[in-house]
Amino acid sequence: MIAVEDIHVTFGRGTPLEKHALRGVDLSIPEGQFVTVIGSNGAGKSTFLGSLAGDVLAEQGRISIDGADVTRWDTPRRAGLVARVFQDPMAGSCAALTIEENMALAAARGRRRGLGLALGSDRRKGFRDRIAALGLGLENRLHDRMGLLSGGQRQAVSLLMATLAGSKILLLDEHTAALDPATADFVLDLTRRIVRDNRLTTLMVTHSMRQALDYGDRTLMLHEGRVVLDVAGEERAGLDVPHLLALFAKQRGGAEISDDSLLIG
Amino acid sequence: MSEIALFGAIEIGLVYALVAIGVYLSFRILDFPDLTVDGSFPLGAAVCAVLLIAGVNPWLASLAAALAGAAAGLVTATLNVRFKILHLLASILTMIALFSVNLRVMGRPNVALLMQDTVLTPFYGLGVPDHIVRPLVVGAIVAAVVLLLARFLSSEFGLAMRATGVNARMARAQGVDTDAHVYAGIALSNALTGLAGALFAQTNGFADVTTGIGTIVVGLAAVIVGETVLPARALALALVGCVVGSILYRLAVQLALSADSIGLQASDLNLVTAVLVAVALILPRLKAKASRSTARNPGAAR
Ligand SMILES: Nc1ncnc2c1ncn2[C@@H]1O[C@H](COP(=O)(O)OP(=O)(O)O)[C@@H](O)[C@H]1O
Ligand SMILES: [Mg+2]
Repeated sequence: MIAVEDIHVTFGRGTPLEKHALRGVDLSIPEGQFVTVIGSNGAGKSTFLGSLAGDVLAEQGRISIDGADVTRWDTPRRAGLVARVFQDPMAGSCAALTIEENMALAAARGRRRGLGLALGSDRRKGFRDRIAALGLGLENRLHDRMGLLSGGQRQAVSLLMATLAGSKILLLDEHTAALDPATADFVLDLTRRIVRDNRLTTLMVTHSMRQALDYGDRTLMLHEGRVVLDVAGEERAGLDVPHLLALFAKQRGGAEISDDSLLIG
Repeated sequence: MSEIALFGAIEIGLVYALVAIGVYLSFRILDFPDLTVDGSFPLGAAVCAVLLIAGVNPWLASLAAALAGAAAGLVTATLNVRFKILHLLASILTMIALFSVNLRVMGRPNVALLMQDTVLTPFYGLGVPDHIVRPLVVGAIVAAVVLLLARFLSSEFGLAMRATGVNARMARAQGVDTDAHVYAGIALSNALTGLAGALFAQTNGFADVTTGIGTIVVGLAAVIVGETVLPARALALALVGCVVGSILYRLAVQLALSADSIGLQASDLNLVTAVLVAVALILPRLKAKASRSTARNPGAAR
């Protein structure tokens, strides 16, 4: 369970570029829930996920995960609890390391890293089995450098890596935005499967209203650093994209945005 | 080139192979351009020489030299990680400070090792000529370092260190304490350099504060030569490449110096090395440029 109490984040405090990116986010996300997050550019979605992962520390408020107060924990310390996949396929893995080395890195998340071999033969075999399940034929390319894979393959492997250490929270920040539509669909299906099989508590930022409603069981809309819409269950089931767009427009002061193709997705 | 000169070149190449491996660790694996080695090499030589004169066991003295090098590396890493000083500048500060430290350690600009036992002493007089014993012993030490380091880099800790250099953001998201790995890697790099300094003092019979000048460039040259003749993805091979590169570099230097027609003196070495490294850094760009322009204009290639 994730409990977020009134967190605030300000970038560049005291400079002319000061930006109050999160202005009191208050949320509770029960275990196993799949939350989709939408909002216009600059709404604070990435900052919010970053504050959960520890990349940005909240200057006010409290974050607890499974009862532990992690508010002051840095990223490496939270990594045992939280796995992530980034928007940029290059960001979430090491291009210069091999696929199996990347997997070994992820498998040690949250553990002490000692002088034992990172890739013993048992572990290699385990990785081979796990990656074969993706159905991409990557089990024969474990020695290939990650940089040789396509963006979609890299995101698929990144998703798999997120499950290797048994952490229960998955943060996805527009992880399909850099992919072509067919590949994006594949990665989304894989996401759904992995979240279900591993019973992960998930936050998925997407720029597509369609995806936001089709995936998961709760949808948040962020605007100017606040949660302005939080729907689940029946209420959410009754929503469709035009509704969402209308709500979205209202939040932006009634501006006409229906032609903003990015938001319709 | 005489036989003595040949083995001499191999010997000094092997000593500097440890520097090359250290430079490979900092520049290539951690992506941390560290110039501290210009100070930690003579530091290792100074610490070792002073301890040998004080009657300390040569292996212990060499170990102490490595530890002194590690300490120097930790200073650089602290300036960079903790106090956010740019890595190059941080390492220059340590390097400059070490010049004074080295003078303090030795109490004078140079120290001669005349009668002292060294790690080589037990191997002299076994029927193998001295000029061959030295590269053999140093070579054995280098081989041990390569093996240990290759094993270390394929451990979970070592893998995390490599990830730190390749993609620090990803490494942190995977729970790697990247700061700790920078400390460890830069300390290790300079420990190897300190050990190289200790071996230099013992094979050459002296320690001198000025021997550090240009250490970084010589190390880089060896790394670059190694990468050229042994372009390997596998880590263990890349480490071997550093050793091979260092030896080839010294052989090339020896050849250049012994060819009277070129008219080079030993004192021209730093200039030649700097030019070599500069050319090696510029060449890939020129090549890329050339292939780009021929791609745009296929006829021009003929
Ligand atoms: N590291 C940073 N430094 C300064 N400003 C930032 C930083 N990260 C984000 N911001 C600003 O904070 C606001 C929220 O950004 P972000 O969370 O990335 O938005 P979103 O992901 O919803 O598009 C934006 O105005 C952005 O410019
Ligand atoms: Mg964003």
